Amino acid sequence: MKRVLDARMTRRELLRNSAMFGAATFAVTTLSACGLGKKSSESNKIVIGAFQDNALAPLRDTFFKRFTDETGIKVQYNETNYDSWYQNAKNDGLNKTGAYDIYIMDDNWVPEFAAAGILIDLEAAGLKPNPDLLENGLNQGYWPPKVGPRLKDVANDEPKLYALPIDDDVQMLYYNSDQFSSAPTTWDEIFAAMKDKADPPNMYGWTIRGVKGNPIVQTYLPVLNSYGGAFANDDWTPGFDGAEGVAALERIFSFIPYMPRGIVEFDTDQEIQVLLQGQSLALTEYTGLTQRIDDPESSTVVGKIDCAATPAEEKSGPAIGIFNAGIPPSAPNTDGAIQFLDWFTSDDVQLDFAKTGSAAVTRKALTDPSAISEARWLPAMADAVDNSTPKPRTPDEPKMEDILGTELNKALVDAIAANGKYGGIAQKHLSAAADQMTSYLQQQGGYY
Amino acid sequence: MAGEAISVQGRARVAERAIAAGSPYLLIAPALLFMAAVSVYPLFYGVRASLAEYKYGRELGFQGLDNYRRVLADDVFWQAMYVTLRFVLIAVTLETILGVALAVLLSRDLRFAGLIRTGLIIPMTVAPVVVGIVWRLIYASDVGIVNPLFRVAGLTPPDVLSHGTSAFLGLVAVDVWEWTPLIMLIVLAGLHGLPREPIEGARVDGASELRVFFDHTLPLVRPVLLVAIILRTIDAIGTFDQVFVLTKGGPGTSTQLIAIYGYNTAFRFSQYGQASAMMLLVLVGMSVLLVAAIRTIRGAAKKATGAA
Repeated sequence: MKRVLDARMTRRELLRNSAMFGAATFAVTTLSACGLGKKSSESNKIVIGAFQDNALAPLRDTFFKRFTDETGIKVQYNETNYDSWYQNAKNDGLNKTGAYDIYIMDDNWVPEFAAAGILIDLEAAGLKPNPDLLENGLNQGYWPPKVGPRLKDVANDEPKLYALPIDDDVQMLYYNSDQFSSAPTTWDEIFAAMKDKADPPNMYGWTIRGVKGNPIVQTYLPVLNSYGGAFANDDWTPGFDGAEGVAALERIFSFIPYMPRGIVEFDTDQEIQVLLQGQSLALTEYTGLTQRIDDPESSTVVGKIDCAATPAEEKSGPAIGIFNAGIPPSAPNTDGAIQFLDWFTSDDVQLDFAKTGSAAVTRKALTDPSAISEARWLPAMADAVDNSTPKPRTPDEPKMEDILGTELNKALVDAIAANGKYGGIAQKHLSAAADQMTSYLQQQGGYY
Repeated sequence: MAGEAISVQGRARVAERAIAAGSPYLLIAPALLFMAAVSVYPLFYGVRASLAEYKYGRELGFQGLDNYRRVLADDVFWQAMYVTLRFVLIAVTLETILGVALAVLLSRDLRFAGLIRTGLIIPMTVAPVVVGIVWRLIYASDVGIVNPLFRVAGLTPPDVLSHGTSAFLGLVAVDVWEWTPLIMLIVLAGLHGLPREPIEGARVDGASELRVFFDHTLPLVRPVLLVAIILRTIDAIGTFDQVFVLTKGGPGTSTQLIAIYGYNTAFRFSQYGQASAMMLLVLVGMSVLLVAAIRTIRGAAKKATGAA
């Protein structure tokens, strides 16, 4: 040892040894980056990426472990926030990194990801979808879309299945059963109950997500759809700046005196807090909320919040925002990924998924009496999916949503300031949104 | 033999001279390479992206200046630029006035000056996202402390984040709270380095403290102040985190700064080309404004120093 420590090195030896060390380090890191030594673990492991959401908690906490127990395939689950995961998934797909076997996606990512070629055709890869999957949920995984307007580029293409529903997230009406003798079915009923029973700030009649962009659009859509309007018509013209869209927005304005102060800045957390503290008669929200309504740590009205179809004017028209799972072409373990999707959407697993109160994706699971006895809202979920209206299926949907959501937010600010005299406000802002959206789609091309 | 020795010596001298001449370049080469990797390459890539067409996140090829044309014709871009300029102008002006005032105060022999200085620096050390969350909890109409305070005082609660003007001013207040200490610190360092003679001379001549400050202290500290203002301006133009957490640019577009709009354009709407063009236009605009500002302030400083 002493010899080693005392040994002197000439400058040339130092350079030579450094060069050899450097070359060896470079070779090891390069080979590692190329994936050497990785293949051995690929066949018994899948990597799933997702965003954080209450609705995915049962999947993460229970079903991945069960899949591993039943198949021997380990699941590595990487969960991050919504925006980060969207970028991660897209970068992984575009650069063919191969870091993931399954992407869990929001429904409006599917058109962009499928059109960009970063998802595989699941049926061509050997997956046979469970025939009991709810049709409106399954349709969200097709590109080009099976229903609704299509981009000119893909107008005549045969729809292919790029993603499978794993959680039929859809909007429902949540109402305090202490305040209603039965589920209200129309907006008129809701409004009458507000006038009769609301006593702000002790009890509000209604509460919403008012933040610009996606949140307020989600507030507006079930009302708009129920009034016979549409986010986009079949020829891609805006379907919200006519009489139906204006009436729908003015209906929301009419709730202002019965809503909390500051709804303009309310997002999901603030909105549901009001309901779960027993301070609101009702609201519309996605199915993820069912995971909290009977949780004593979240709610002071455990067992009192019931669910039903979103109220109707002409019809019930909840927005659908399901969570899908797709497989990138660069997935290291495509077979394992297919096996997981097949397993998770099977009848038995879906029944158990429904029993956790989650938005199962098969009809049998949502209508099974044993599941309903554990989660009373399951029939309302099935009903909501059946009546749901999808958002426009285009990669430009986020921008369209931003345009509409910004004008809706401005309209809400103006309506609150108008103190009940909101005539003309809805039309002004909806027309502005329609003009901007039309101009944007014209600039993008492929629509008209 | 002697000739050979001279020749060897000569060669050694030439080699030494070459090493002496080349060594500075060799020494700065790693830093230059690092700068090229982290600064020049992204800029070059940004320019390239601004000239490319993207569809669904994929680069389709060169499309000339189309992205620039689209950005310049985009009303929302101009709206975001207007909001950003207004934000920077108001926030940096307030921070400068308060920062200088605090620095002058703390440059005196106050009791607990060190403690006060440390306390004032704390906001600057907190991560901007955390600052956003803290202020959201202060402003929020449901759980915030601002509305109850107004109620206690018998006033109508302002619902800070619910109205365009109040949300904008609320955002300015957050920025002022967080970054005034930076200007204070820089100016304080400048004040400590000032020559004593002109200031003491003015005092001996009977000048008031206000005259001493405006006629001597401020002109002398102006070069340092200029650096502080430039740093803050550059930083304020890129303000993102606090807005993202507090308002997401709303209500409407009242707090939509250019960094928020650029982020949305790139990462939510997947229009990388337009987002790159937008940010390069901002970079050019900012550079022009800063050069003009530096020249103006330098000119004024020279005049003032001459007068002093």
